[in-house]
Amino acid sequence: MIGNVAAVFLFEWKRALTLPRMAWWAVLALFPVFIVGVIRFTMPDEARRAMNPIPAEQIWNFWAAMFYALIPMLVSMLGTLLWATPAISAELERRSWVYLTVRPNGGTAVLLGKYLAAVTWVIPPALIGLTIGVPLADTGDGWRMWWAMVRLVCLSCPAYGAIYLMLGTLLPRRALVLAVAYTLIFELVIRFIPAVINKLTVQFRLQALLVEWCNLSLAGPGGRPSGVQALIGDEPAWQHVSILLLLPPVLLLIAVAILRWSEFSASAESDV
Amino acid sequence: MIELRNVTKLYGKVIGVNDFTLTLEPGAYGLLGPNGSGKSTLLNLITGQLRPTLGTVLVLGEPPRNNPELFRRLGYCPGSEGLYAGVSGFDWVRYLQQLQGMTSHEAGEAAEKALGLVGMTQAMHRPISSYSRGMRQRTKLAQAIAHDPDFLILDEPFNGLDPVGRHELTTVLRHWIRQGKSLLFASHLLHEIESLTQSFLLICGGRLLASGTAQDVHDMMVGLPNEVALRTSDPHALAALLLREHVADSVQIKDGFLTVATPQPGRLFEQLPGWLKASGLEVSEMHSADDSLQELFNSLMKLHRGEL
Repeated sequence: MIGNVAAVFLFEWKRALTLPRMAWWAVLALFPVFIVGVIRFTMPDEARRAMNPIPAEQIWNFWAAMFYALIPMLVSMLGTLLWATPAISAELERRSWVYLTVRPNGGTAVLLGKYLAAVTWVIPPALIGLTIGVPLADTGDGWRMWWAMVRLVCLSCPAYGAIYLMLGTLLPRRALVLAVAYTLIFELVIRFIPAVINKLTVQFRLQALLVEWCNLSLAGPGGRPSGVQALIGDEPAWQHVSILLLLPPVLLLIAVAILRWSEFSASAESDV
Repeated sequence: MIELRNVTKLYGKVIGVNDFTLTLEPGAYGLLGPNGSGKSTLLNLITGQLRPTLGTVLVLGEPPRNNPELFRRLGYCPGSEGLYAGVSGFDWVRYLQQLQGMTSHEAGEAAEKALGLVGMTQAMHRPISSYSRGMRQRTKLAQAIAHDPDFLILDEPFNGLDPVGRHELTTVLRHWIRQGKSLLFASHLLHEIESLTQSFLLICGGRLLASGTAQDVHDMMVGLPNEVALRTSDPHALAALLLREHVADSVQIKDGFLTVATPQPGRLFEQLPGWLKASGLEVSEMHSADDSLQELFNSLMKLHRGEL
């Protein structure tokens, strides 16, 4: 089984080494760098900042939020959405699925191999974007910022990859629609509802870890708790990390169960 | 080899396979039926792609759904294309053999051998996008036989092959059968099946109409009306004569031809010359059903549709 998964993983990586896919890879890596560069070079220069000084804490908070939005959110979510969601649907559309599923544990191997390929395909551009972007941003403590974001990327890519893969397995013929709807509704809207339901989102965990690892100050004017505090919760970091580490295996197990139960034959809709 | 017990497959309200019961011993069989007759559904049930709504499917003594042990012994060449355009034939076949559980080296050797067997050695390192349809068919067959299965299932394998390709593929499959291995081969063209085996299953409307050898089906057809077509100077008068003599169940006149369905072909052929002489009618052409499988197939189809 491990050999089968490795075969799918290597085959998918080999297939991915084409010009269009490499171009997408480069866009994922360089887009955050481009945005950081634009912000950095439109900021007031040092002489003007000296006349109207901005507290270092505000600058740190701004860059932490910016890097988080660009990399663990945008690159991880977009990258895994594009790569993991169509794992099954692409094979069904190409009508190649049947060749894979008449192999011993073929469907499961394809699912897991493609998941690993998607995650390992998205993490490198995220890390490259960080490694170029953080020194460019001049955050004050670049190393700390980089390390915090690396940990967030390494937690967000596997988690989102597993979510999108599971959604793509659940409804392969509408996989991308379902994945985009999930992202918009759960990760970007429900996440900001200060209720128990927002704890079901990956964003809740990642943002709590961002606050913890970047030591962001959430206090409002006069030291009072701000509204943001209500969205972060008060669970310890280890709890968030544990949940994010447990999420992928649980979701992959569900995806495999769905796969074994489902009938994906093309003849169900066309030729009988 | 295959055992289906009262198998029914429903797609919502559409019946794919209808109360199918069949037992096949190891050997070579042709699965014959028109497009949409349920051949692909049946193959999908046999290969475990689909779960029967009712009934039981056993292949090589085991249920095929999610059965890794069975898939080690099974080779399947589906009717759909489904190849990766940017990958070479060799890489694709090797990849599928790795999924059979072979190491990369073993899979490479198996792929090379199988592609050689189907005449793809020269082109196997070219991208599949550059292949002709016939080359893709051969590559598909190579992936099915590369792991040396006990039982090979082919869905319309001759599609897109030119006459030379058909001949070569027929030779490969005859060699396969001579080795004593089992084959189930679906086609909507009878002559393709006849070129490989005399044992066939006739399927239509999701039902098994007949199975066995051509002789078995001939025996089954005894007593059923035979069709005889006659070109005559006065088809209406001849039709009336044959109905009067109670030798015709039904008559049809079209383009100067009188087509008669007769339950007594022997009596018709014996007495027709006398009746023609007595009535002064002339017959310039006469065609009757020959003994080929095609005619049997046509007769069974008509029987199924209630036309006989």
